[in-house]
Amino acid sequence: MSSTYLNLSFGAYFLAMVFYAGNLFFKNKILPLAARFFIACSIFGLSIYVGLRWQIALRPPLSNMFESLVVFAWAIAIFLIFVDLKYKIKVINALTALLGLLALGYASLLDKEIAPLMPALRSNWLTLHVLTCFIGYAALTVAFVSSLITLFKKGQDHNLDEMSHKIIAFGFLFLTLGIISGSVWANSAWGSYWGWDPKETWSLITWVIYAIYLHARLKRGWKGKKAAWLSVIGFMAMIFTYFGVSFLLSGLHSYTQ
Amino acid sequence: MLVLFSLNLGVCILNRLPLKNRSLGSFLAHISVLIILLGALIGIIFGQKAFLKISETEEVNSFFFHGKNIPLGFSIRLNDFIYNENIDAKEKLLVYQHAKLEKDVYDLGSEQAIMQSQGFLAQVPVHMGIEQAIGNTGYKIKAVRYVADFVMDTSTKNVFSRSAEPNNPALQVELKDPKGKVKSAWLFARFPDMHQEISADLQIKYNWAPRRPKDFISKVTILKDGKEILSRDIQVNEPLNFAGYNFFQSSYDTQDLSWSGLQIVKDPGVPLIYAGFILLIVGLVMIFYVGPLMENK
Repeated sequence: MSSTYLNLSFGAYFLAMVFYAGNLFFKNKILPLAARFFIACSIFGLSIYVGLRWQIALRPPLSNMFESLVVFAWAIAIFLIFVDLKYKIKVINALTALLGLLALGYASLLDKEIAPLMPALRSNWLTLHVLTCFIGYAALTVAFVSSLITLFKKGQDHNLDEMSHKIIAFGFLFLTLGIISGSVWANSAWGSYWGWDPKETWSLITWVIYAIYLHARLKRGWKGKKAAWLSVIGFMAMIFTYFGVSFLLSGLHSYTQ
Repeated sequence: MLVLFSLNLGVCILNRLPLKNRSLGSFLAHISVLIILLGALIGIIFGQKAFLKISETEEVNSFFFHGKNIPLGFSIRLNDFIYNENIDAKEKLLVYQHAKLEKDVYDLGSEQAIMQSQGFLAQVPVHMGIEQAIGNTGYKIKAVRYVADFVMDTSTKNVFSRSAEPNNPALQVELKDPKGKVKSAWLFARFPDMHQEISADLQIKYNWAPRRPKDFISKVTILKDGKEILSRDIQVNEPLNFAGYNFFQSSYDTQDLSWSGLQIVKDPGVPLIYAGFILLIVGLVMIFYVGPLMENK
């Protein structure tokens, strides 16, 4: 299939990133508006690309590294627009756009061929499982950016801290949904809801780290930098669950090739 | 370790009783983890799980679990095991002019070399049973049969596949010349020069590409007291449930497609686990969204 919409979206994503970055250095009312416009274009373009691919492949395009990265970048863009409108923290916008762009850039280097779905993936659970996981991943990526900024900033920033907490709560909920949907799917496909497959194990590790974050905040009053460290560690575990496990360890989730 | 964790979690939850309205979500989320672990424990103690290697036409009425032979109370028969593959888009027939010099044929080894050569005429994707035109040569070609591991019975001249492993992929094609005369021949992916002469004008090279499994289906029948009760297809994502036992398509062997590997599972802990999952989701939604909403009011 043609990559036109993918390339256009990539261009729009790039421009959005440039305008968000420009907004860090120049005071201009046009810059944030232009950035929002282009990120909206990118969401629109990626939606069309995914929709077309779905139509051509006759299945949801959520089955390999390329397809998942496109969805990841798409979900990050949606979060970006939401976070931008709600919190208006310039540096978060710029860094989030950069991470989304990296995901999309990496995707464009991979094989875009539409391969038939292997029998194990032919299930309605695929859509639910992958979408919930990647909505969670995207939220936790934005939370990682805000935590990173918390770590580099001098002193406490209550607004930033609240934002991280809210987004992690949302991401945690979707990570939970992702793990549960995967578990129910595994039980209906193989008769085993949990098999200590590397991806399962690492997703549980990630889940536990974010659970610790939520408890430490609530019960121990960890805020600011202390909590931000946990969020960064959680993000590392998440990234390892996503990329590390796929490339370094083999198991039920080896669909990347 | 999980038992200690459960005890700890249990005590923590008890400590927080009596419940305030506000902490209901938290209570549900934490008790759900206990329920999930309890479900897992019940599965470990009372569950049964076994791998069943069943051959075509074989009837099985029991399975081995922890060294004991456990009767099913009915029997299951494998009628047929079906294995299908997807034809890769890269799999195609490369057609070029019959080289005048024998030497040229040997030089045209790779797909690239053929497509760049002077004599290259057309490429035809492999679609089984569909007659396709070869460029504008007037010839038509139809792929009629594929075997992954070509063997010919020397006495009967019958062709069959030794296994589903692509040890010697071969494609039987029918070539129709512009006058409508049909000639059939086998093309070998690994031995491009071995095929029978199919035409005085054309040379055809079978460009094979690895195929991926499309379906593997066990066609089974459940029997009780010698009577057939039901017949079903078992495939990945579509298990068969009968009398508390679930049968899952688990494995197969491309070297020998006459048997199928089924997983037999009886796990009474699963309803509890699913209940725990639902409570966990409800609890989290209450903690993060319903609670703060109520506080704001």
